[in-house]
Amino acid sequence: MRKATGILRHVILLGYLAIILYPLLFIFNSSFKNNSEVVLHPWALPEKFQMGNYIDAFGNSHIGKYFMNSLYISTIATVAGIILATAIAYAITRMRFPRISKLVYGGLLLSLLISPASLLIPLYIMIRSLGIYNTPFALIVPYTAFSIPISVFVMAAFLKSIPRELEEAGVMDGLSVFGLLGRIIMPLTLPTLVTVFILNFMGHWNEFIMANLFLSSQDLRTLPVAVVAFMDKFQMNYGALTASVMISALPVIIVYTVLQKQIIQGVAAGSVKG
Amino acid sequence: MNKVLRNPYAYVLFVVPAMALYLTFYIVPMLNSLKYAVTSWNGINEATFNGLDNFVKAFHDEKFWIAFKNNIYFVLFSVFVQIPVIIFFSILISGAKRFLGFYKTTVFLPSVLSTAIIGVIWQFIYHPDAGLVNQLLRMFGLESWTHGWLGEEGYSMLAILVTNGWQWTGFYIVLVLAAIFAIPKEMQEAGEMDGAIGWRKARYITIPLIRPVILVVMMLSITGAMKALDIVFIMTKGGPFGSSEVMATYMYKQAYSMSLFGYANAISVIIFLFTVVLTVIFHFLTRRTEEVDY
Repeated sequence: MRKATGILRHVILLGYLAIILYPLLFIFNSSFKNNSEVVLHPWALPEKFQMGNYIDAFGNSHIGKYFMNSLYISTIATVAGIILATAIAYAITRMRFPRISKLVYGGLLLSLLISPASLLIPLYIMIRSLGIYNTPFALIVPYTAFSIPISVFVMAAFLKSIPRELEEAGVMDGLSVFGLLGRIIMPLTLPTLVTVFILNFMGHWNEFIMANLFLSSQDLRTLPVAVVAFMDKFQMNYGALTASVMISALPVIIVYTVLQKQIIQGVAAGSVKG
Repeated sequence: MNKVLRNPYAYVLFVVPAMALYLTFYIVPMLNSLKYAVTSWNGINEATFNGLDNFVKAFHDEKFWIAFKNNIYFVLFSVFVQIPVIIFFSILISGAKRFLGFYKTTVFLPSVLSTAIIGVIWQFIYHPDAGLVNQLLRMFGLESWTHGWLGEEGYSMLAILVTNGWQWTGFYIVLVLAAIFAIPKEMQEAGEMDGAIGWRKARYITIPLIRPVILVVMMLSITGAMKALDIVFIMTKGGPFGSSEVMATYMYKQAYSMSLFGYANAISVIIFLFTVVLTVIFHFLTRRTEEVDY
């Protein structure tokens, strides 16, 4: 009886996993086929293993350029966000200005009330008036700004747990506040920093709405925007479309597979806090 | 010690840049949104104050109500379909002696993918001829059940809800799993001694003890449902004939297709107010369930 329920459990769960994995495998499989194969034999394996669609995607469709755009924008926004968030999180948790720090933290909590999506229009107007519309900064600046609150919450929660004695010892050795941050605090927070880095980077890498709205020229597009534009344009060119979907999704899947523990913990911690 | 940590120059240097960016791009737009909401404005000329006209307009706007209704569908689907599925699979996975890590990793996978990519993948699945759903139905001889899922008014919203569920269910399962594993072993064992095993154990021990996290998950999925934008935008653009429009996509269109920036901001404020109202109602309903004491 027990054994039977055990087996049934795994059968049901495998059914669920199939629902998750099949669409991804289907796209992966299709990305090696030519168009007629996709339509006529959607279930079959590719007739022959050919990278034509990928070569096409990099050649005619400039997917390489969009990939670099995504990489460049996501990296700068993530690094800038981490530097700003670490500095402010350190100041409000460890430095002795309790009143101002409380106020600052409260101000950051306001962000939980409102989603970036509902600020699209005022943001769009602001970005136009600042003259950064249709430049990489149109994304880098808001991405950085929107990543600050959640990064500060996660960092602050960790920083509070560092014993005061460590800093006291550092002060004895004649360290300034910058020395404390650089030599004592930063090495300790490295694991948390890595988690925040990955989560913010993935968030920026995947972002679509702002990227679609704040950039107008094709050359600046990020991957998600490019893939959606592909779909609208080449509704029937399945091979090129599935290859570009894979090029956009694979880096995320690989990074996730390698760092799943940190990613799952980080996301869980961040969302329950909110 | 205190002298070093009371260095005002360092404090200003650490706090001001991040705060400046946050205030400029988060708080100021929020206030601007409220400001524009009570104006008539095409984005080019001066905005003119028109009081609550935009809100009155929304109230009489049939298309807005369709969008609003779709947001409510979104919320209902989240609460009555997704949540039971989440609880069911969480309990199922938590009891697995083997492959637990593998299950957890796989169910979480869709929530790290870009919504844009998921939208494109699912367009393939819903494709009328070559799509997976219709192919499967034909394989089982259910030709009459096939539909042009995203192209039919009666099915476009449902198709989007299923896709959204596919994306987020695993994310919530992982949250619930964390809570299940936090239940002390003694509690579990005591229950089993009293004869609570299998689904009885789930009903009388596990579910009551993980109530707080279930409420968090409900809250997250309700607010998520109110803000839904990209998935609809990518899959149907709100079509066909506005049948899958939600408030956020309607707002987007008012601004960028119609240049009605005042009206669009008013809709944005309405979304915000509804989210707050739902949150308050939710807290009111669940006030009696405080943290569980073990």
